[in-house]
Amino acid sequence: MTLDAAGMIRGVADGEAGALRRLYDAQASRLFGVAMAILRDRDAAADALHDAVVKIAARAGQYDPARGEGGAWLAAIVRNTALDLARARGRETPTDDPSLGDTAVAPEALDRLCESQEAGRLRDCLAALEDRNREGILLAFVHGLSHAQIAARLDLPLGTVKAWIRRGLARLKGCLT
Amino acid sequence: MIPSDPEALDALAAEHVLGTLDAREAAEVARALPVDAALRDAVARWEARLAPLADLAPPMAPPDGLWKRIDASVAKRSPAPVVPLRAVPGRAAPPRPGKFWKAWSAGATAVAAGLAAILFLRPADPPRMMTVLLTSRDQPAWLVEAEGGGLRLASLNPRPVEPGRVQQLWALPPGATAPTSLGLIPEDGQARVAPGLVRPEPGMLIEITLEPPGGSPTGRPTGPILFIGRLVPATGT
Repeated sequence: MTLDAAGMIRGVADGEAGALRRLYDAQASRLFGVAMAILRDRDAAADALHDAVVKIAARAGQYDPARGEGGAWLAAIVRNTALDLARARGRETPTDDPSLGDTAVAPEALDRLCESQEAGRLRDCLAALEDRNREGILLAFVHGLSHAQIAARLDLPLGTVKAWIRRGLARLKGCLT
Repeated sequence: MIPSDPEALDALAAEHVLGTLDAREAAEVARALPVDAALRDAVARWEARLAPLADLAPPMAPPDGLWKRIDASVAKRSPAPVVPLRAVPGRAAPPRPGKFWKAWSAGATAVAAGLAAILFLRPADPPRMMTVLLTSRDQPAWLVEAEGGGLRLASLNPRPVEPGRVQQLWALPPGATAPTSLGLIPEDGQARVAPGLVRPEPGMLIEITLEPPGGSPTGRPTGPILFIGRLVPATGT
């Protein structure tokens, strides 16, 4: 799916006719999923994807394949755009939202990470974390939850959540290197 | 403040990528990224580490009309409304501020107040408003003075611009929701914004962002803020 993302980004950078449309057609579902997981509101997620694709069109020339995979570059722009929008909305998203959490946080969701070698290593390192460390990291990355929202959801003091996430990230780094 | 301790810097980069920084912290990191190579590298490493997690979000078909909206926005984006600034040739650069500036680590207000005092002592027709654009680490980068209905800029601490990128100058009057492009500016030296493009007023935010060649394609800042300051009356209180 992301195999030729780098090539499509190059096409956009080179101003090839229809290149942005091809990129959109190939990536829109995946990227809209990323925005929806964070914003959980179709209109807001559509706004985020709109803004992100306009940015992608403008910045395609800055993509450097040596610094990472094309699909990851696209997803990072969408994530950052969606996170900024979530912040602008005060991250009001209710944390008891039933659409939240089950998909990304359940341990079996990690099985979906095994497609590449890097993802496999990340999955193993995440699996080695304490449950709540892992849960905090996934809720933040996949669902864009703030420290306070994670604390409310896991029913833990804010300071504990901050410390656990910090520790979880440090362990993850140690495990991945 | 971006920490200089490598471990604290790496922890900040991790939380930036994770998305847990609040709006103020996230904006601070975004501003620092283009001028802080260590932070940039740390963020890139964390992006690479966590990137596979994006695929945990289940794919979902976007609304039908979205492509049309995107296409219209991209087609409409005209070349950036950039009016080339006239660099002022043949004038000696202002005396290199040197130690005076390096020793000055206070925030924008203190710097601006100090300069206001200096400017006030100048015999000839002092500019009525000025500011110093600071980096995310509160280092002075550009002196901006309102002059003849326009603006005059002088670089204080020239620093190289990322290859393949340009610096674009913006003004945000108090109460406005979107900044106005004032044009592309050189890496250092002096530049002038002609009257008419902007009406300098106290409280106006002046910022320089990092943009693709030719300037922002959208007419709004697309890159991080490199330097920022707020115009204050130079004649003081």
